[in-house]
Amino acid sequence: MKNRVPFREGLFEETSGKGSLIGARCRQCGQIIFPRREACLNCLGQDLEPVRLSRNGKLYAYTIVHMPSEHFEPPYAIGWIELPEGIRIFSQIRDWQERHLKIGMDMKLCFEKLWDEEDKEIIGYVFRPSMNGGGI
Amino acid sequence: MREVAIIGVGSTVMGKFPEMLPYELGAKAARAAIQDAGIPPKDLQFAYCANLYGGMVIGQAVLGEIGITDIELTNIENACTGGATAIRKAWWDIASGLYDIGIAVGVESITTSYMAGKLITPAKGDITGVLGMNMVARFALSQRRYMDMFDVSLEQIAKVSVKNHHNGCMNPYSQYKKELTIEEIINSRPICEPITLLQCCPSTDGAAAAVLVPLDLAAKYTSQPVTIAASVLKSGDYSFHWEDMTFSDMTFKCANSAYEMAGLGPEDVDVCELHDAFAVNELQHYVELGFCRRGEEVGLLEDGATALGGKIPVNTSGGLLSKGHPVSASGVAQIAELVWQLRGQAGDRQVANARVGLAHVIGGEVTGLESGAVAVHVLKT
Repeated sequence: MKNRVPFREGLFEETSGKGSLIGARCRQCGQIIFPRREACLNCLGQDLEPVRLSRNGKLYAYTIVHMPSEHFEPPYAIGWIELPEGIRIFSQIRDWQERHLKIGMDMKLCFEKLWDEEDKEIIGYVFRPSMNGGGI
Repeated sequence: MREVAIIGVGSTVMGKFPEMLPYELGAKAARAAIQDAGIPPKDLQFAYCANLYGGMVIGQAVLGEIGITDIELTNIENACTGGATAIRKAWWDIASGLYDIGIAVGVESITTSYMAGKLITPAKGDITGVLGMNMVARFALSQRRYMDMFDVSLEQIAKVSVKNHHNGCMNPYSQYKKELTIEEIINSRPICEPITLLQCCPSTDGAAAAVLVPLDLAAKYTSQPVTIAASVLKSGDYSFHWEDMTFSDMTFKCANSAYEMAGLGPEDVDVCELHDAFAVNELQHYVELGFCRRGEEVGLLEDGATALGGKIPVNTSGGLLSKGHPVSASGVAQIAELVWQLRGQAGDRQVANARVGLAHVIGGEVTGLESGAVAVHVLKT
């Protein structure tokens, strides 16, 4: 079995497909940031606590890309997912061929292979429409 | 602070020139601007050269071709805003009293670079870039939301491209001189849905240049100086401050600062070159630049207000959609078009009695910010 490696360290905690994105909350101004930083990007306060971000959000915008990128063959879907915390996460979107994408629909966080690299499986976060639907 | 005037501009024809190296394009535009200014090249005291994909010290290669060496020369990278940044820096070097005559050059050769045939993406390692973002997708996401939330159709957005390609037919410097129909635009191949090929600016090689002096010395060189009434450049703000991805806060704030600096308002603008990298951008920028209120932008376009002969003609050059988008040269090429318009030298695409022109560029994608940089210049006669 291939080694599972996150595409970037420090963005999420994940075990066999389940986990959370890890952001930070500023104890001074309340701003939530993702990814984590040394200091709050809003007020520059240094008192930050790590937070597990919501695993459900709403589709803010999406596009189907018809040109290849460094790691993805077309067509693929990407989008911005708005979390209840008030921040938007940019992500690959899965199941877009099976489920009609619609702005405002409920999306859920998953972790899966993004691409292969030699003997490694590169793991990252993706969002997919959640089964309970939802609209604007 | 001294008032600054533009006394010469020059441009290459925009297009695909695989046989021309970047410095040859740049030298051609710089030579044209220097000739237009009517100055000996050796008079230039400083230079800025904007470029993204051309490699090391390209400004030295450009100006070395035409006899300009041993001066203060700074190379600039600021993505699509690079050319406007060169104008801004040259403006300040003269406004501040540091120098009396200088040149701003923007040059790009995509065809001879490693970017040939590729979509422009964020810098290597950028998180959104790694996850599949590119510059078309960036605006396709905004367009999807804009269409769905504000009930704007693809046909309406395509009309921007129809208008700008029509203007491009009248510009000898334009990459494309071909009328397009709404059907051709929406039926062209999808790049990032709902953006199709003909809603996108092409990949473009080209260069443009401008020569600047203090206004009180301009009469020595020309009877038609064009004054820089405002020059504003801003870097992007965090996207968690960006409430609505269909409205560019950066453009709105930058334009307001520029109007304040110029002592003018959007109602004073006679002609505008704005950043129509994708057709949808133009509609959104009408609102942010203050040409109309939100919800009126499609009407402004459909009523012909932004067409030649309208109240505020936009992208008379053909814009980035038709004239082309030589990334770092675009900001300077916009200034060249406005100078020709304000001097009454724009030929068939001339805006009658144009006295005030506005140029706007925005660009650069990086995780966590709305965009990299935005610039607005206001020119007046």
